[in-house]
Amino acid sequence: MFKNILVPTDGSPLSGHAIKLAVRLAKEQDARVTGFWVGPEWEANVHGETVVTGFVSPQQHAARVKKIAARYLGAVEKAAATEGVRCKVAHAVGGFPYDEIVKAARRNGCDLIVMASHGRRGISKLLLGSETSKVLAHSSVPVLVCR
Amino acid sequence: MFKHILVPTDGSPLSRRAVERAVRFAAEQKARVTGFWVGPAWEPNLYAYAEGVPAGFVSPRQHTAHVKNAAARCLAPVRKAATAAGVRCKCAYVTGGFPYVEIVSAARRYRCDLIVMASHSRGPLSRLLLGSQTSKVLAYATIPVMVCR
Repeated sequence: MFKNILVPTDGSPLSGHAIKLAVRLAKEQDARVTGFWVGPEWEANVHGETVVTGFVSPQQHAARVKKIAARYLGAVEKAAATEGVRCKVAHAVGGFPYDEIVKAARRNGCDLIVMASHGRRGISKLLLGSETSKVLAHSSVPVLVCR
Repeated sequence: MFKHILVPTDGSPLSRRAVERAVRFAAEQKARVTGFWVGPAWEPNLYAYAEGVPAGFVSPRQHTAHVKNAAARCLAPVRKAATAAGVRCKCAYVTGGFPYVEIVSAARRYRCDLIVMASHSRGPLSRLLLGSQTSKVLAYATIPVMVCR
């Protein structure tokens, strides 16, 4: 029923859960998995948890984003490889991760998005993550939310 | 991978699409589905929010009858779709003022491992908003939830 599953990750443990579920589902469905990560945009002064705060040049920023993408998306590739699921990964930079995620789903022709209910900034178990709820609002394909 | 899928419906067209998707998915997964509908609790004066349950004064007995009718109408598509796809199906309904509470507790009670529901139902301007019940189910559920657009 699903052919291409988009798995946006932010590298958090809960995201890892979603990756596992997505890969298992993909294996069953004989689908492929597209791992996706959105990094922060370059700013003269970057504030963020994934990038060192302070001044970085655009080149340094790009290098860091690439490195972090490789680490986070490597987890997806590894999970897919152990289950023998076809896998592609991509990353983007942008200030609005949900927008990039929805666009990536469209661009890659994904027919399902599997993501965690919240990631890094999940303070409360009772709240839905901000990016997840925005993806839910804007996506035109079904979204499987893992707890 | 999934054995038992809960399909909460409010009888709206969008919800019907979620039902179809859930049943197709269940057929593939060899899972069974439980259709679920939550009606309004009886109140001396009812404000319409569930399809087929009229607003205004109704006696408790009338209310029960209305709810039963509405439940049958809302759950019929689930049963029909499941029968057509050869999926084992059960339907249930309850009344309560907080549908998401009923949905989450039904998922627990029936030991479902997935909830499939529509992103929103009625509001015409709500394309960009997540339905109130859906977002609350997402917040309170302990099992994965598939949200259909």
